[in-house]
Amino acid sequence: MKQFLLHLDETFALGRKFIIQDLDERHLFISADILDILQSKVDDLMDQISFPLAEKGI
Amino acid sequence: MSNTISGKNLLRPTGLQCKNLQEYLKSRPPEVLNKLYHNPPICLAVFRELPVIAKHYVMRLLFVEQPVPQAVIASWCSKLHFEEHQKVVLILNELNVWKEASIPGGLPGWILNTTFKKNLKIVLLGGGKPWTMSNQLEIDSKPRDVAFLDSYALERWECVLHYMVGSQQQEGISADAVRILLHAGLMKRDEADGSPVITQAGFQFLLLETALQVWYFILQYLDTIEARGLDLVECLTFLFQLNFSTLGKDYSTEGMSEGLLTFLQHLREFGLVYQRKRKAGRFYPTRLALNIATGQNKPLSRDPEKEGYIVVETNYRVYAYTNSNLQVALLGLFCEMLYRFPNLVVSILTRDSVRQALKSGITAAQIVGYLQQHAHSKMIEAGPPILPPTIVDQIKLWENERNRFIFSEGVLYSQFLSQTDFEVLRDHALSTGVLIWQSERKRTMVVTKAGHDDVKKFWKRYSKGSS
Repeated sequence: MKQFLLHLDETFALGRKFIIQDLDERHLFISADILDILQSKVDDLMDQISFPLAEKGI
Repeated sequence: MSNTISGKNLLRPTGLQCKNLQEYLKSRPPEVLNKLYHNPPICLAVFRELPVIAKHYVMRLLFVEQPVPQAVIASWCSKLHFEEHQKVVLILNELNVWKEASIPGGLPGWILNTTFKKNLKIVLLGGGKPWTMSNQLEIDSKPRDVAFLDSYALERWECVLHYMVGSQQQEGISADAVRILLHAGLMKRDEADGSPVITQAGFQFLLLETALQVWYFILQYLDTIEARGLDLVECLTFLFQLNFSTLGKDYSTEGMSEGLLTFLQHLREFGLVYQRKRKAGRFYPTRLALNIATGQNKPLSRDPEKEGYIVVETNYRVYAYTNSNLQVALLGLFCEMLYRFPNLVVSILTRDSVRQALKSGITAAQIVGYLQQHAHSKMIEAGPPILPPTIVDQIKLWENERNRFIFSEGVLYSQFLSQTDFEVLRDHALSTGVLIWQSERKRTMVVTKAGHDDVKKFWKRYSKGSS
């Protein structure tokens, strides 16, 4: 997941850079005002990699 | 090393805080508590809710007219359970049931609160003034039985819930009740047209058990009580008298003050008491009122909710054997409706429907809890586990995938000039428990926002001292 964030940061996917400092392999220091957009981006990602489990037909 | 203490987690829905009686009373100022203790029913209610050890202590002290040394009281409890003893001492202190008093000789001791002692004696031994509602009544010409009261209480309470989920076909509720819902944060005014809409907390509220809902609602109501010009102490006393009343018996309203009568009308609206007419001069408490604050959940006997109606299958289908629009609406919070028949609703749990619920602030545990609580008797027979584990796990996974990150708010410190500077500041932050992350190699650390000021001040003092 951290790689995904780095990717978003590098490609300006959220319109700007938001990672302030890369702390270690598990931690990033990011700007707080991006949280909401970031959360929705992550949601989008999860949408793409999920598969409908249940069948709706009879 | 990595993450030591995680700071406050952002973006997680906050759970609905439902205090029990003890917590509610603890949060009152001591003067109010003392006023409350002037009323025997409240003393009994408080006593009844104390932990067992505390009950023993109070009983042993009840007839002792002088302070008892703390060491003596501690010796009543086995050393093995010293922690519990301390917990109990704290509770009794906070509830103002006893207070510290020094014994001639200098030993610290405890003495029971005199008001509390006097009134607890009254309630246990008899005496005192008769309770307001104990006046003799002529026999009601049309007595109401328990079954009637139960269904009445349920109907009234469902009215409130119906209003919250916004189903239209029920009669409305009064402006007063709406105000309480707004005050409690269960609903809020829509910005566009000012009509009340349900909030995150409201959704969580809907999934609680009935008794908890009533208690939560009453707590919120009590908060607003003084703004209405009612006397908190008087109303609480009445509430606890109701608590000790008998189901299916009628009580007189004679001798009740204007304020109490207003209070009674509010209780009537929510189904806690039944009155045929406003001026009938008598009322019946319902099971909802008896349930209040006892901590036990005596279910409404004819509560169809309690006869489970939900069947969950491993293919994510949820069948609900119900006619109630309310229950269908509740299920609709986290299921996708497929078919509706008389007496049966077929719905399906999908990722989207569950995520919808999660977004509105309901937690996975609440969804699972709701399904479990209302599981059909066939499901319970087949269990345990009552619900298919795959479904339970999947709902939790859907919740977890929304929380792939842990966000903690913090302030970053870096570019220290020397390793010692860094270590001093880090150790300080660590000792005050505000450190979130640090790396010695990079000489970088992150502290929580709350700790930032303190660390900054410490740093100023430190750098001044060393230069």
